[in-house]
Amino acid sequence: MSPAPAGEATPVNTSSSARLVSWPPLAGSLLMLVPIAVVSLLVWQTAGAALQGTVTHYLVLTVAVLAFSAFTGNSGILSFGHAAFMGLAAHVTGVLTIPVAQKAIFLPDLPLWLAGLELHFLVAGAIAVVLVTIVGFLVGIPICRLGGASAAIATLGLLIIVYGVLVGARDFTRGSQALIGVPRTVDIPLALLFVAIALIVCRIFRDSLPGLELRAAREDEPAARAVGVDVHRRRLLAWTLSACIAAIAGVLLAHELGVYSPREFYFQITFAVLVMLIVGGMTSVSGAVAGAIVVTILIEVLRSVEESINTVWFDEPTVFGLTDIGLSLAILGVLFWRRNGLFEYREIEDFVLSPRKAPAGSLTATPERVARDGGLEVRDVTRMFGGLRAVDSASLSLKPGEIVGLIGPNGSGKTTLLGCISGALECDAGTIELDGADITGMPSHLIARRGVGRTFQNVRLFSNLSCQENVKTALAAGSTGSRPARMTERCLALLGELGIADYASRRAGTLAYGLQRRLEIARALALEPRYLLLDEPAAGMNESESDELLAILARLREVRGPGLLVVDHDLSLIMRLCDRVIVLNKGEVIAEGTPEDVQSDPVVIEAYLGRRRTAERATSWSTARE
Amino acid sequence: MDILIQQFVNALSLGGTYALLALGLAMVFSVLGLINFAHGDLMTLTGYAMFFAIGAGLGLPLAIVLGIACATLAAVAMERVAFRPVRDANTATMLLTSLAVSTILHMLFQNLISARPRAIPVPSWMIGAVDVGGLAIGVIQLMSITATALLLIALSVFLRRSILGIAMRAAALDFPVTRLMGINANAVVATAFGLSGLLAGVAGVLWLAQRGSVDPLMGFLPVLKAFIAVVLGGLGSLAGAVVGGFALAFIEVFLRAFLPDGWLPFRESITLTLVIVLLLVRPEGLIGRRENVR
Repeated sequence: MSPAPAGEATPVNTSSSARLVSWPPLAGSLLMLVPIAVVSLLVWQTAGAALQGTVTHYLVLTVAVLAFSAFTGNSGILSFGHAAFMGLAAHVTGVLTIPVAQKAIFLPDLPLWLAGLELHFLVAGAIAVVLVTIVGFLVGIPICRLGGASAAIATLGLLIIVYGVLVGARDFTRGSQALIGVPRTVDIPLALLFVAIALIVCRIFRDSLPGLELRAAREDEPAARAVGVDVHRRRLLAWTLSACIAAIAGVLLAHELGVYSPREFYFQITFAVLVMLIVGGMTSVSGAVAGAIVVTILIEVLRSVEESINTVWFDEPTVFGLTDIGLSLAILGVLFWRRNGLFEYREIEDFVLSPRKAPAGSLTATPERVARDGGLEVRDVTRMFGGLRAVDSASLSLKPGEIVGLIGPNGSGKTTLLGCISGALECDAGTIELDGADITGMPSHLIARRGVGRTFQNVRLFSNLSCQENVKTALAAGSTGSRPARMTERCLALLGELGIADYASRRAGTLAYGLQRRLEIARALALEPRYLLLDEPAAGMNESESDELLAILARLREVRGPGLLVVDHDLSLIMRLCDRVIVLNKGEVIAEGTPEDVQSDPVVIEAYLGRRRTAERATSWSTARE
Repeated sequence: MDILIQQFVNALSLGGTYALLALGLAMVFSVLGLINFAHGDLMTLTGYAMFFAIGAGLGLPLAIVLGIACATLAAVAMERVAFRPVRDANTATMLLTSLAVSTILHMLFQNLISARPRAIPVPSWMIGAVDVGGLAIGVIQLMSITATALLLIALSVFLRRSILGIAMRAAALDFPVTRLMGINANAVVATAFGLSGLLAGVAGVLWLAQRGSVDPLMGFLPVLKAFIAVVLGGLGSLAGAVVGGFALAFIEVFLRAFLPDGWLPFRESITLTLVIVLLLVRPEGLIGRRENVR
């Protein structure tokens, strides 16, 4: 597979405003915003109070959905906690804006300085948002260290904690009773303004480099770390941003309702917002907004049906919860039909606009050669799993430009050793030195940034991101210092180097297996690694595919010259490729030397074939070199 | 000293209920990756089954058996109807599905039975206390501790000895590989749900014995606690769920007993904050473990 023909770098001579609109985050935001704005402003001008109230409430909830989406959509971690931020902000702004006379009646135990305070709602709201953002940042520190479902349940804990605090702090909140007299100042235009801001901010964040890194971690956390993504920090960033948006939603809701208790910000609203988010498509910002529309309309229709049933057929309300049942059935229907929500992984512009053509012409960029000095030194590393010594004081060294094979029977500790070197696993004993610096115990994203790339035994790609985005994540996180403008070029050059430039905008998960392996190597190369650890690169490949791989690796050595540590069971590949071979058995290095030496080493043959067969000398070993 | 032992017994009895619930949640989670919000409704279902059984003149023992059987069957049915279509979907989709199931059940309970609590008479001999070595220990607590202990022992024998039990433990470690070993996935999933229903049923009986009534939302709060317990113990670990359940109950009971009065309204918040701090120290839970990345 040869790289696509170079040349024809089509010059883009459009005016700057046109370019701005073709910028996906803004184009996507506008595509969502314009219809919403038109309809809600029309309602504002013409409709009665009831419908206006419904639309205002929908707009406020949309801000809330966007808050959840900023964290949950990009990190993949379901949050139950954002309603807590909404409640906190609502109560702060409430206490600051309730007229002094009413405070004296309803909140007699307020401290003096608060009792005499009556701020404009925008000032109070700003204070609430700043305070809650700070609180959000602080509680985010422990929560963002957890992953997946554990983090989700920790946010559930957060919701209960904050609810408990709000109810418990009677002097400020009237306990479980409602705050009364909060000025009702939110109307359609104001709510719409904040929908626009939140939507654009969410879209820009999603498409920014930190957002991309976080989405990569959502797809595969270990792989994201292995290309240098500081997952905790990226999560914390998204969490804090989303806490800020949630606080805005809380302030808006407070000044929309005027009367509310902590219960308003508990499970019911959390579930309502989650339904909108997941029905629309959890990972898509446009989906979140669309979900809010669909669910709001559904609720309104069901509610009026329920009311008319009760008034037409019964004298007094008899049927309860038809709205909830109908909504639940609708959720089940949507999820059974489209399990990733209405928009799945796409944004609105992916449906409307044609995919932009990747600019060609930059594929000839020649990568720089790796400097020859330094080396990777592994000394006496031990790693235990329970009582099992998976790696038992193993030592090895690797220099730039060298190709070393690491072989051994199944379960001999090869992958574990790679894990120890790349920082995915901690060593129980021993040291690892990288170009003279001790990197033992360093987290894997920092090791990656120091120029150690790796691929995985079971291919680990960011499946729902495009091939280009897979590589771009590594470019962004690996801090190889390229400017955003040049990133697309460099991505394409790297994909071209591995012969997969044609697939740049394809979703990585849809590639054929052999191409996925190549993409994984391209992604690792984006780190400009001085050392590259390849875990069974030829696993599952047929003969022609593994021949192609061999050619790629040989060219890699010629052009870039990193140190390669290759684990594989394909002995013929190892023997043809490697300068040196290290043999592991039961966690220990039992032999090391040139391929010829290792092949004839009786200890190695015994480890592979067992004692009885040793005498027979399997012929496959001698044929492997041919 | 007496009060300490008294609280210890309280914690043990509450912890038993949490542990049973958490274990059921963990079984389903480790096989399917599903955080089942409808788990609590199985407890509620047990309550209503007992209510109607007693109303129909069946004795309490028979009502208990019926109640537990009802929860078990309902759990299996729930999986078949609602969760099988979204098996292998992402966590959020499955969680929302369970939320929808839970909402539908709440509404059915409310409309077909009543939004108000229904009393389940607790026999008078259960209300008293027995004298154990000079300490007065509630009969209900004693029964609940005994029931939990027996059930956990029986379950651990099942998980260690029977083929299906071993398959369940294997599935908890790595479901895809377990399927490759020729274990019928549907059987494992159905067993996980059946067992989780059984455990929720028993927990429901114990919970009812303390409260004496059942209402549509009865199961929500204890299951919320059980979620926390599962994470505290280590998500995906069955033993962790049990340990987490007891740990959470101990924190709760001892805070309730020894917190100064002014702090009592914040008890729940303090408990959960402690849990989150514990998780900060051990992100993989009390007895969770980290795995090699391949």
